[in-house]
Amino acid sequence: MATWDKVTVQAADRERIYAKNRTFFGDVVFRFTRKFTAVFGLVLIVLLLLFAFVGPFISPYSYTTQSLEFANIPPRLELIPAEGSYFYITTSLKVIEVTPEGTLLRSLQKTGEDGINRTMSFAVDDETDLVLAYREKPPAFLVDGKPLEAERRTVWNQSFRLGSDALGRDLLTRLMYGSRISLIVAFVATLVNMTIGILYGGISGYIGGTADQVMMRIVDIISTIPLTLYVILIMVVLKSGFLSIIIALSSVYWVNMARVVRGQIYTLKHNEFVLAARTIGSSNGTILFRHLLPNAMGPILVTATMMIPSAIFLEAFLGYIGLGVAPPMSSLGTMSNDAIGALRMTPYQLFAPSLVICLIMFAFNFVGDGLRDALDPKLKK
Amino acid sequence: MARFLIKRILLMILSLFVIAFLTFSLMHAVPGGPFTAERQLPARVEAEMRARYNLDAPLYVQFFDYIKGFLTFDLGPSFKYPGKTVNDFIENGFPVSAKLGGITILFILAVSIPLGIWAALKNGKWQDGFVMTIATLGVTIPSFVIATLLMYLFSHKLGWLPVFSLDKWQGYILPVVSLGGYSLAFIARLMRSSLLEVMGQDYIRTARSKGLSEVKVIVRHGLRNALIPVITILGPTIAALLTGSFVIEKIFAIPGMGVYFVDSVGQRDYTAIMGITVFYATFLIVMTFIVDIFYTIIDPRIRMEA
Repeated sequence: MATWDKVTVQAADRERIYAKNRTFFGDVVFRFTRKFTAVFGLVLIVLLLLFAFVGPFISPYSYTTQSLEFANIPPRLELIPAEGSYFYITTSLKVIEVTPEGTLLRSLQKTGEDGINRTMSFAVDDETDLVLAYREKPPAFLVDGKPLEAERRTVWNQSFRLGSDALGRDLLTRLMYGSRISLIVAFVATLVNMTIGILYGGISGYIGGTADQVMMRIVDIISTIPLTLYVILIMVVLKSGFLSIIIALSSVYWVNMARVVRGQIYTLKHNEFVLAARTIGSSNGTILFRHLLPNAMGPILVTATMMIPSAIFLEAFLGYIGLGVAPPMSSLGTMSNDAIGALRMTPYQLFAPSLVICLIMFAFNFVGDGLRDALDPKLKK
Repeated sequence: MARFLIKRILLMILSLFVIAFLTFSLMHAVPGGPFTAERQLPARVEAEMRARYNLDAPLYVQFFDYIKGFLTFDLGPSFKYPGKTVNDFIENGFPVSAKLGGITILFILAVSIPLGIWAALKNGKWQDGFVMTIATLGVTIPSFVIATLLMYLFSHKLGWLPVFSLDKWQGYILPVVSLGGYSLAFIARLMRSSLLEVMGQDYIRTARSKGLSEVKVIVRHGLRNALIPVITILGPTIAALLTGSFVIEKIFAIPGMGVYFVDSVGQRDYTAIMGITVFYATFLIVMTFIVDIFYTIIDPRIRMEA
């Protein structure tokens, strides 16, 4: 028995590729899914989209449904038992009857106020009255002139899961509509910017020469202009509304995309495949759109993904300084703006939209980072 | 060098002209004149008003008058506040914004650069992760969210800091932190990645191999080169911070440029909007220009072609 046998190798075996043959797309997916934050961001985006686009159909309210008697009710209620029922006292001293589980029933009718002793009375039914003393904090019910000693219970608001705003509209529903508006604005603006940027940058890079010089100097000039200011100016000129925001955002933000596309096309057009395409008589349009642009898609996609959070931010910013979508429509920015005035009384009205803005920003930044690493491993440090 | 400078200055003048032109045409594209109100003015009064504000001249004459005013630092009267000029707004608002911005820049530099260096030196350890997490938070959370959350927490809930007062130094803490949050996080990230890149260079190995102490290697050879990208980004950052952030000033009721701007947007005070935009843009462009020049001086690797 020989210890060292000669291994016979088949010619075909030598040529075989043992590693799995992955396509470019498969490679991108592989690299993308390796990164936890990227996958997390993607899941977050899907959840946000469901929240914004499916949510409004499930919600029992519309974004305009007002119930003024239930204005400014927080998501967490401290209930006081009295007269065989549970009551919640709002920060503006209204008494609301609530079921033990937390569903709002009705706002009690105020029957009288004693300004000297700082008490108010509310009618529970035709015979009984509840007396509320508000000299001390927290306000308490009086029974025979003495504060009612009763065990309070804290429940979640079942009628308005995230509370209601100053006009008694359901915050959760408005948040869904607001996210929807913000996301649509961001997507449409990004799409328009992408189209303009690809056309402008593609043509500039492909033609080259003097035309390229002139077109890029124009881009240089536009990029020195403080864009936020211009978006605001355009918003002042146009009537504030959904369409104006999109026009304002799309008219200024394409510059970055144009630069990226131009740089890509400029380096790609010296490749042999362009020469080959030209030899077989392809038109300039075919070469640019069929051969060059698909090769530049990676950086374009990354730039587009990164554009979405800045569009969301800018939209929120515009809403915040009072140039957002017209009421009663809500967007994340206008909701934050509405909430800032009464921050001390109703902080929950600000937290909800702020949180959603942050989540959207995080999600798209994570996905953008992941895409960049997956599409262009050279950029990875 | 001279050619580069001339080219840059020409581009700068062209940009400013485009900005002035764009602002002017946007403001004149607004439907309705500045004196269109619910109540119809008598024709003579309106004609008088238009003449006073130079609105009866042909558009191109108005434009050249505007450019002339712009060159002589006269931005014209305010439409909404009689007797006030746009120059007044800027004279009142700019020092306040500039003071806040200046403090913010010092704060950013004092915090972000050490943070970035620390993260780079501890690359891959928990300290690095900690700094990067904070930096990611700072870059993604919008400034107005940071501002309102800080305000709620420290002023309303804990009562440690005043909300609206710039008389005491405590009043500056919240605006400075929320105004600088984004740039701070951004510069810390930039500093980290730039230092990491530099520390992998051959000349660092050379410095180490000739027996320099680690501190000397980092400070003399590493930091000096790693600071270059940070300086580039500093120009626009300084300009943006000095002229104020509209939102932060609005939230903390700071009477700076931003408040005047947002106010004039709300009031549709067209001359004020125009004037402040042009002032802001000029400031930004000049600042970027100065930093670009400075940048080419400190980094001899960059040839002044462009």
